[in-house]
Amino acid sequence: MDSELITPQVMEFDIRGQICPATLLIALKELNRSKEQLHKGEVQLVFKTDNRDATITIPDAAENMGYAVSVQRVDDYYAIVVEQGH
Amino acid sequence: MTFTAYGIIMPTSLILGVAAGFIMHRAGFCMAGAFRDLFLFRQTFMLRQLLLLVVVSMIIFEAARLAGFLPLYPFPLLGPPTIASLAGGALFGVGMVLAGGCVVGTLYRVGAGSALSAVALIGLIVGSTLYGEIHPFWGAFARATILGKGRLTLPEEFGVDPLLPIALSVAGAAVPLYYWIHTGKLQRRSVARGYVQPWLAAVLLALTGLFSYLLVGMPLGITTAYTKLGASVEQFIAPSHFASLTFFKGLPLNYLYPLTQERLVGGPGPAFDAVAAVQYPLLLGLVLGGLLSAVLAREFRIYFRVPLRQYGSAFAGGLVMGLASRMTPGCNVWHVFGGLPILASQSLLFVLGLFPGAWLGGELLTRLIIRD
Repeated sequence: MDSELITPQVMEFDIRGQICPATLLIALKELNRSKEQLHKGEVQLVFKTDNRDATITIPDAAENMGYAVSVQRVDDYYAIVVEQGH
Repeated sequence: MTFTAYGIIMPTSLILGVAAGFIMHRAGFCMAGAFRDLFLFRQTFMLRQLLLLVVVSMIIFEAARLAGFLPLYPFPLLGPPTIASLAGGALFGVGMVLAGGCVVGTLYRVGAGSALSAVALIGLIVGSTLYGEIHPFWGAFARATILGKGRLTLPEEFGVDPLLPIALSVAGAAVPLYYWIHTGKLQRRSVARGYVQPWLAAVLLALTGLFSYLLVGMPLGITTAYTKLGASVEQFIAPSHFASLTFFKGLPLNYLYPLTQERLVGGPGPAFDAVAAVQYPLLLGLVLGGLLSAVLAREFRIYFRVPLRQYGSAFAGGLVMGLASRMTPGCNVWHVFGGLPILASQSLLFVLGLFPGAWLGGELLTRLIIRD
């Protein structure tokens, strides 16, 4: 089956209220934990954060690991979506 | 119309505090992160910005001095270089990493609604006040470990005019800065609302430092205000013990205010004195600046549901940082924004201590606080 046809399962992590470096360390931990499923395109990780720095540090780290990342502004926080690299 | 010293100082400090708090929140200008991430993630982005800030400050402070605008040079409250400043810097480094922000970063984050930073702020006040208990011992240690001739700045230590050493320092730092500017290493992308590039923040913060030096008589400083707040509480709940502590009777700030020629005196005790006039409005301004930035960016919201361990770390970090800021004495903003640009020996030792401290703080944080 073509991997593009799989609808990835969304895993959400609410780390609002947390600050550096906890936000990045937690994201790194979860990215490592889901490494295989992320590479296969089976899961999509969403980090909800209100830490402005995390909207830079988490995407930078995830992109360096070869994933595709987008940051969305939602109400008064940010949603960082990490998925299989293109 | 005549102005009194407090009539100029208090509104100036408030406005500079609001400006600095706003800018730092928008740019994510985190000094704790700058030192911590060097060790934790091998990242030097924010350290590069700090170097830019120090170099810009060196140039504009020296220009102001040469133009005769800085009659107080070196500025008040600086002490001689001692081992106490180095040790204080190291302890401060541990504290700011555990607290997730320095003495100023904590304030703008409180304004922006961070519950963790509010807990760190309480720790800061407690730690700053606890210093009163160890002051007789620590003060003696500091006096016994004065280095060299004990002059306040490196140029004074070597008996030379500041212009040459400052010019050489600027020239030395200009080489890497020029390279970083041309390779885009001072810029970064961000989708955060109303993001201010940290290099622009560094330049603006250097200017707030200059305005403070010109209009208040010294660069931005905040930590004695934490001690004053704690002293007011301690005097109320334990009056007889408080009366026995000599530290709170000291008046280390004593200077002739250049703009009105009034003599201004103040110290860590609870009285409303010159320290209160300079630092309380600044403290309030930094909180208001963070609040204003977060509200205008539509990001203000308080989230309490954070792992308990992180609250513990914030309090412990604040306490250690508060204690260290009195042991040094002075905080990172005082020494990096103010002291380094005039090559103050105490500030150089403090910053040297920050590096091992931030490393140790990072180790403690990853082993004890953030784990499965």
